[in-house]
Amino acid sequence: MTPVSVAQTSEPALDTPAAPPPRPFRWRLLLGFVLPIGAAVLWEAAVRSGLAEGRLMPPPSRILATLVDLARGGELWWHAQATLARVAAGFALGVAAGTALGALAGASGLWRALLDPTLQGLRAIPSIAWVPLFILWLGIFEASKIALIAVGVSFPVYLGTLGAILSIDRKTIEVGRIFRLSGPALVGRIMLPAVLPHYVIALRSGLGLGWMFVVAAEFMGASEGLGYLLVDGQQLGKPAQIISAIAIFAILGKITDAILVALTAPLLRWQDVAGRS
Amino acid sequence: MLALNAVSKRYPNGTRALADISLAVDAGEILAIVGGSGCGKSTLLRLAAGLEAPTTGEVQVDGERIAGPHPAVGLVFQEPRLLPWLTVAGNVGFGLAALAPTERAAKVNAALARVGLADYAARWPRELSGGQAQRVALARALVTNPRVLLLDEPFSALDAFTRVDLQDHLLDLWADTRPTLVLVTHDIEEALVLADRVMVMRAHPGRIAGVLTLEAPRPRDRQSGTFERAKRQLLADLGRAGTYRSGEEAFPTAAI
Repeated sequence: MTPVSVAQTSEPALDTPAAPPPRPFRWRLLLGFVLPIGAAVLWEAAVRSGLAEGRLMPPPSRILATLVDLARGGELWWHAQATLARVAAGFALGVAAGTALGALAGASGLWRALLDPTLQGLRAIPSIAWVPLFILWLGIFEASKIALIAVGVSFPVYLGTLGAILSIDRKTIEVGRIFRLSGPALVGRIMLPAVLPHYVIALRSGLGLGWMFVVAAEFMGASEGLGYLLVDGQQLGKPAQIISAIAIFAILGKITDAILVALTAPLLRWQDVAGRS
Repeated sequence: MLALNAVSKRYPNGTRALADISLAVDAGEILAIVGGSGCGKSTLLRLAAGLEAPTTGEVQVDGERIAGPHPAVGLVFQEPRLLPWLTVAGNVGFGLAALAPTERAAKVNAALARVGLADYAARWPRELSGGQAQRVALARALVTNPRVLLLDEPFSALDAFTRVDLQDHLLDLWADTRPTLVLVTHDIEEALVLADRVMVMRAHPGRIAGVLTLEAPRPRDRQSGTFERAKRQLLADLGRAGTYRSGEEAFPTAAI
């Protein structure tokens, strides 16, 4: 829901689709801020007026001050960048593995019969259960963390890819057959575009899980990263630092998801969806 | 041009969709195939298109046995089946990937002009009406200049006005290059307006119940006496094909 301002001076040409009319509900964007800002203002007022103590639940002003402090010292960037790097590496690995397995299982019933039961079984394991094993196998440094994130990302991507391939309409495939497309052309010109909308959703849920698992990964003994800030805040009794880290997680998660959506939007312009407005 | 020699089709579930069908369609001929649902008329078209293989017998195009879709044979489905991720121009040019872009664009534009949608090249399929989408599908099938064009109830999902409009339009398009047309339909009037021969099919298993040759020149007047006589004849054939009880009641010609 980005605001658009359309300054139309001439009639749209016949051969181009008419531009959509400017959306009248721009104020709705602001609606999303009412709850968090309202709650923040109320809490600030409650603490300042002495109604609430605010030691374990610090008021917004103190959280902001903590954020500014962390940012000034350069710590914030250092931690955020460490976490981002882990998510990026784990996400890339997980997407690669999930896509490859999903494509394989989607390509033939034989591969599906071979792979799917095992993968579904592995998927049923809570991914945190891998932590001790990954630490034994890969050590307590980056490798085990990235592996955990990759595992978490790969399953939704696998499921999404497989589901998307299985849901391709036979009728669409027949169009390709009538024009005698070769196997690779059928994949490239019919199947890839057909699975793309589902695949993007799979990537987004994969990314969401990636952010979830990076915290678990950083809980298992990290000396940097936003997850470390959380643990450190707990051990040293600094609730403002914990909430700051949580806020940064929310912001980074939202931004990376928005980037993913923006990158894939040009590929999905053709979609006939109800949620366009 | 197109020939089926003793073709039968049995599906894996045991259904005998077609039994021993032999049929030859001449170059430039328009053949309509009518029959009730389940009589195998769509199966016959899918065999002719090479989308399915006959259980016994063979399908020939120009005397050559086909084992899959043939470059000289085009197919228009019941639904437009446009690819939603391609623009109208992209859909029409789908079968021309081997051509240079400029040559392809020229052919696409010519084909779109022929179906009266020259202004719609940049649109997405979702922006078209049902009739427009089916015209784009027609352009997509015609742009490769097929010598045989198969049409599987192409206008059945359209409203009556659009349907008559597109039937006339199809004849115009056919007159340009005179391909062989095989049209499966459940609309008796459509068959009588368009076809040189109308083949009536019977179900369980699918077989040919009769063939009616129409001599009247096109375009045909739907109100003329010859048209009415041919229609009665065809309805009687369909009645004998066991699909309907013959009797004095009027048959809803478009609802079979």
